[in-house]
Amino acid sequence: MLKKRNKIKQFFLLIILILTALSGCGEFKDIDKDVFVSMIGIDLSDDPEKPYKVTLKLYVPTSSFKQSPKPEYTYLTKNGKTLTEAIRILETHSDKEIDFGHSKLIVIGEELLNANKSKEIMDFLLRRPDIQMISWLAIGRPSAEEIIKMVPQSETAAYPALFNYFDHNGTDSPYIVTTYLFDFRRKMLETGIDPILPLIEINKEEEHFEVNKSYVLAHDKKPHELSSLDTLIFNMMTRNLDVADLVINEDNQHFIAKIDNINSKYKVKVDAQHQVKLNIDIELFGYISESKDTISNQQLPQYSKMVEAETREKFSDFFIKMLNVGYDPIGFGLAYKSKTLHNKRMSPNEWNEAYKNSKVNIKVMAGIKSTGSIQ
Amino acid sequence: MSSEEILLWIKEQFKNTTELTQKTLDYDNKHALLFYVKSLIDQESLQKLIIKPFFEMANENQFKAYLIALPQFQKVESKEQAVSEVTNGNTLIVIQHDLYLIDLQLATNNQVSTTSVETTIHGSNIALSENLMTNINLIRTYYHQASLSIEYFTKGEVNQQKIAIIYDKELVNTKALEIIKQKLQQLDQQVISASTELNNYLNDKRFSLFPQMLMTERPDRIVYNIAGGKIALILDGNAQALIAPAVFFDFMTTMEDNYHTLFISLFVRILRYAGLFVSLLLPGLYVGITSFAPEVFRTELALTVAGSRIGVPFSSFVEVLFMLFFMELLLEASIRLPKAVSATATTVGGLILGSAVTEAALASNIMVIIVSAVAISTFVIPVNELAFTIRIVRLILLLITSVFGLAGLTLGLYGLIMYLVYLDSFGEPYLRLFNYQKAKKSSEGQA
Amino acid sequence: MSRYYYYLVLINMIANVIASVPAILLHFHDDGAVSAMIVSVVAGSTLVFFFTRFFTHFPGMTLPELLQKTTAKWFYNPFILVLAITWFIAGMITLITYTFLLIRYLTPEMPIIQISLTILLAVILGCLMKTDRVFYTIEIILLLTVPLIILIFIKAYTNENLRWEFVKEAALYFNQFPNLNAFSACFFLYLGSANLIIFNRFFKNKQNFGVKQITLIVAISIMTLFTTYFIPIGFNGVEGIEKLVYPWITTSDSLRMKFSLIERVLFIFLLFYLGIAFLSILIHWHVSIELLKYVFNFEKFKFKGFKFGVFLPIPFYIGVSLYFVRQLNEYQLFRLSGIFYNILIIFFPMMLILFFFIKRRMKNVKKAEQN
Repeated sequence: MLKKRNKIKQFFLLIILILTALSGCGEFKDIDKDVFVSMIGIDLSDDPEKPYKVTLKLYVPTSSFKQSPKPEYTYLTKNGKTLTEAIRILETHSDKEIDFGHSKLIVIGEELLNANKSKEIMDFLLRRPDIQMISWLAIGRPSAEEIIKMVPQSETAAYPALFNYFDHNGTDSPYIVTTYLFDFRRKMLETGIDPILPLIEINKEEEHFEVNKSYVLAHDKKPHELSSLDTLIFNMMTRNLDVADLVINEDNQHFIAKIDNINSKYKVKVDAQHQVKLNIDIELFGYISESKDTISNQQLPQYSKMVEAETREKFSDFFIKMLNVGYDPIGFGLAYKSKTLHNKRMSPNEWNEAYKNSKVNIKVMAGIKSTGSIQ
Repeated sequence: MSSEEILLWIKEQFKNTTELTQKTLDYDNKHALLFYVKSLIDQESLQKLIIKPFFEMANENQFKAYLIALPQFQKVESKEQAVSEVTNGNTLIVIQHDLYLIDLQLATNNQVSTTSVETTIHGSNIALSENLMTNINLIRTYYHQASLSIEYFTKGEVNQQKIAIIYDKELVNTKALEIIKQKLQQLDQQVISASTELNNYLNDKRFSLFPQMLMTERPDRIVYNIAGGKIALILDGNAQALIAPAVFFDFMTTMEDNYHTLFISLFVRILRYAGLFVSLLLPGLYVGITSFAPEVFRTELALTVAGSRIGVPFSSFVEVLFMLFFMELLLEASIRLPKAVSATATTVGGLILGSAVTEAALASNIMVIIVSAVAISTFVIPVNELAFTIRIVRLILLLITSVFGLAGLTLGLYGLIMYLVYLDSFGEPYLRLFNYQKAKKSSEGQA
Repeated sequence: MSRYYYYLVLINMIANVIASVPAILLHFHDDGAVSAMIVSVVAGSTLVFFFTRFFTHFPGMTLPELLQKTTAKWFYNPFILVLAITWFIAGMITLITYTFLLIRYLTPEMPIIQISLTILLAVILGCLMKTDRVFYTIEIILLLTVPLIILIFIKAYTNENLRWEFVKEAALYFNQFPNLNAFSACFFLYLGSANLIIFNRFFKNKQNFGVKQITLIVAISIMTLFTTYFIPIGFNGVEGIEKLVYPWITTSDSLRMKFSLIERVLFIFLLFYLGIAFLSILIHWHVSIELLKYVFNFEKFKFKGFKFGVFLPIPFYIGVSLYFVRQLNEYQLFRLSGIFYNILIIFFPMMLILFFFIKRRMKNVKKAEQN
């Protein structure tokens, strides 16, 4: 009995020996020998041989955030034939190991976007296991490098100001589209929905970012820019927005309606001749937040009518634009697919044609409930 | 064997000492011979119970009857028993070749003390005394059942200590009782001085890490456990009892859990288990995350950790070991030191050393926080024996983590759980959910 | 039925969320995966039902014991050996899958042997424990890990980025002919109850297995299958889903815990799922080693009174696993799992026939014992 136990003990001792031997070959690297990437910027370079220009924004760790509340970053930039090559060269430029695990934002330069290289970029971003699938993707104007290298006044250490635009923790503006990497991937691959990316611009004089426009894109197609208003309409259609402002300018009445409750629904109907009908239902509730003229409480129904008319006009403008360029950021094609058996579906090409010729039916119901605190 | 021979033999035993007092009482045709060890007996009782009645009795026969009627009376069964009883504080009385033993033991250690190790706010604060009889008295006053049985063993070849096994005949776990009795019989130690020693002697594994018996000083805990079918062992001259079989969850409960309201005790329990996991895993987690997978933490935290490690000359593993080492030293030191000095030691060790170490950049700020968090959470574990074990297990997990990384830590924890389940405490699985639900009609058997 | 029985069934189901099963299913997303899932619910539950009912007739008896009483030696020994190898492979597939996962996502710099050794060393001695202790270990580790895993599933279901349109699109492929590979992958989820061939020795009292119990298992299995297949689709779309090597890892990386200490759900998922993988290997290899004990008489290997026989399989288990960890690549592992699952769908229905035979023979044996 006792002897058997001793043998077990010896066995354990042997294991401990193996463990200690193994600890020699284990990869043991301390956190302060790593440098964390905060953002990745990808641009089109001037050199046609090496088309990719990668810019990395790296956090510089400080011993105490209390002593140095100002953010500190270093930047690495390199051209490369491929993205991996550029990053491999960058790694030789840094004395520490570059860790992509903390990178939260990927900015793609506007020029690169137009150069139609999204497939290669996506492949690179998805293939690397250390790049988060929950990183945000955005377009940078004029270039990703400039976006990445700008540090606005309001920035605090360890959390770049740019992140606040996307994480719905700071500003929650109705003009910002948030696209995660996995969301971009699925929309890119799926026929019947097209990815949309926010556009980050720089306001040079005031040194801050502006994020209120966006881009819709697809394979083998020229990307289409959405204006602020279009971006707002896109968000009203897809996100559960809490607030939106609508400027009404009609029949000598000029006021701004603050919408605090938006319900939007859409239905895709296809008849036997492959004629697509897009039925869009919008319900808006809100109050008047600003007006040039005096506003009367009794006339609220009229104001609602005006809002309805104005909204219908703007929405139909948006959809006509989308149908003309053949982009489908909302996902009507997907809605169609989710309701039709796979063997009865139109082919992607058929659908694209049908979509371009579809009839848009917009129904708006607006309810202006108050004129605000004053009449 | 006649009484003369016994007497001679006894005198022979004490021949070379002056300890044994021999007193002859002789009055009115009444003769009695008293043998006792003066330092062990209560002289006042001797005078009141034996000497005074002797002179008042009419004849020897009446005195004999009186002696037998005394509650302190014991029969003489053998010469060895007589000697050992005399050394235990009995007085041997010889009347007309008849031997009588009267227990007149003077015990100075029968004071019931207040709890010092397992202190609670609620509930009784009485601890066991160092006297076996007082302890049994205490237990009996808490447990009024005829089925409460007490068996005595005398162990320790040299010092012949008395061990009492206390259990409830109706409820006891018979399998465990048999194992304990069998192991006690096999016990062949020269000296047994503390009940906790039995913990090692009764456990035949040489390299055991986790305590197999629960040590306690609280009578209410003993009673609670006896009622749960367990067995208590008390050694004479010891203020601590052992309870067996003990399972892992026993070491994580305090008596107070039963005294609080449901939610309070639930909260306290959650706190305690959280403390257990923190003290086990935190050092390993620090090494695993800083050295193997820095992307696990959220960015802000990772940067704080990376920043605080700037300038620290050691790698994270050495850093943790270094700080843990000083923490363990501090813990050890504060146990040994007199109370008056220990406060100073803590201040010097904890405050001055801690801040100086970070000032000198020998360890990061975060590390100091981790080490103190670990120290505090170790104190949350209610039974001391387990806390000691946890301190060792923590080091093992730290070692595994520094070889195998975070996955190693996770698997190490699972392995630890598996080891605990594999362990036995006197026939009971050491770790098992619903250990207390002794459903007789359980739907499965043991394999 | 005792709660321990459900642990066996449950672990086999959820352990495979991370292994090749979803990858195989999603690979055939437009080629009969959905219909295969529906068919497998019926076939799988039928198998579970008959398997469990068989063992409830013989409380406390393992399959080798039953075979010893009813079959000839030339059949008995090779058959048990085949069973032992089957269970070993099942455990090894989990081991290799998890090793690949860890090296890809948690510690890319660590040598692959070292990673697999971590899991091996933690598991291997546990396989030698007594059967009841294996159950107790399962219970405690499940208690630690399952709440968090369920929380992650709930977070996935309530996430606003989960687009049900993708799920509906994928579900509309139900009218295809079931795919055999997808079917066998789903069928594997139901094989947890097959561990009873050894674990039945724990259930000494007569167990009750009727409509209520099988309904519960069917409900759990439908939930698991649905989660395994449709959640990755809801997050990653239908087109191109077959390109994901580890669909569930990508899915868990699409979740964010905004205010938690660990922001990326991926790591929580990975580390807690490690517990489930650990248990899965523990169960399979425990069965495997116990089966080997019936074939080889390990007791006779002694050295100075120390019976080292029970430890004999361990070097083989470690050696073979390490060899395959080094040799296989991701694609080969995927193929191997697929082939393994395909073999099992023939193997287990055959065993039901064997059970029928045993049951009849056992009646005779009992009669003989009574006389």
